[in-house]
Amino acid sequence: MILLKVDFNPVAEFTDFVHNPYVSLPLGLDINKAVIYLWLTAAVAIGVTLLIVRRGLKLRPDGSQTAVEVVYDMCQNQIARGGLPEEGMRIWFPYVATLFVFIWSMNLIGFIPLPFGERHVDVFGLSVPEFQIYAASANLSVTLALTLVTFFATHIEGIRYNGPVKYFKSWMPSGLPSPRPFGAKTPAVLILLGLIAVIEVLSQFVRIVSLSFRLFFNMLAGHLVIAVFLGLASLLGTYFILPIGIPMGVALYLLECTLIAGLQAFIFATLSAIYIGGAIHPDH
Amino acid sequence: MALEGNVHDASRALELGLATGLGAIGPGIGVGFIFGKTIEAVGRQPELRGQLQGLMWLGFALTEAIIFYALGMAFVAYAIA
Repeated sequence: MILLKVDFNPVAEFTDFVHNPYVSLPLGLDINKAVIYLWLTAAVAIGVTLLIVRRGLKLRPDGSQTAVEVVYDMCQNQIARGGLPEEGMRIWFPYVATLFVFIWSMNLIGFIPLPFGERHVDVFGLSVPEFQIYAASANLSVTLALTLVTFFATHIEGIRYNGPVKYFKSWMPSGLPSPRPFGAKTPAVLILLGLIAVIEVLSQFVRIVSLSFRLFFNMLAGHLVIAVFLGLASLLGTYFILPIGIPMGVALYLLECTLIAGLQAFIFATLSAIYIGGAIHPDH
Repeated sequence: MALEGNVHDASRALELGLATGLGAIGPGIGVGFIFGKTIEAVGRQPELRGQLQGLMWLGFALTEAIIFYALGMAFVAYAIA
């Protein structure tokens, strides 16, 4: 009955690490589990791509080269061309493709059990940290930082391509009656225009929330559900639930790492491309 | 009848479950619509399958995100209650 004595709290795995970082630095720049995961992600994403590309590209591609070409082709044709206009491709295609590869690697690394747990287990006298699944993208700070890059890129590009006056005017939907200061505008029309302006400005900020929350909660909820189903026996204190919990956990794990991990990276990159493209060419 | 036991924690747990469950109803219907309509459209015009699939995943993710608003607010309420 060892299993039932484990004090299993799935939520703590995603919150407690903030309070005990590996290296404490001022200004909240601690090096904790999420930072280690981010470094790992960057190393894997850059390393794998460099390894395959620098080994020499061939006219008759082998397996790994084909895989990289498929990813590149998808970034170019599905993600970037779907949202970005031709003149924005040179600058923003690399950004969007980087977003896709980085977030995808981040999500996939999150599904490999790695020894970064808070609690330690004795294995033949060695104190080994628990193996657990944790994704850097299951952390609002990470996704919010990525979202803010897109947010500022969107508005800086919009102002750079259109000029500030034309750009902010383009937030108002076209075809509305324009307010003239001394014209025969009724107050009702002016109030409506003001309301639409408020909604449009709000919708620009809601984009930050929706873009960052989507990735964050998808990964957090995915990991939590896997952890809860695999640890259901420990949570409920009975072994009879094991035949349901373990298969459900494995099924959800497979769904998450084959579909959701790539899909969320795809969505994040696609929406970034659409937002930036929409700012460059507001009329479309 | 007076309530006994840890009513505070029990109501927090109920809140988390209710908010997430009720919040999942609408997006669940919406996701079903998106996949169903895509299947219909592919059945009508199979040559557009590639384009429709891209739109389908975009719509799926946008709809699914609504669950996470409910879940997020449920967690916030759970944490501050």
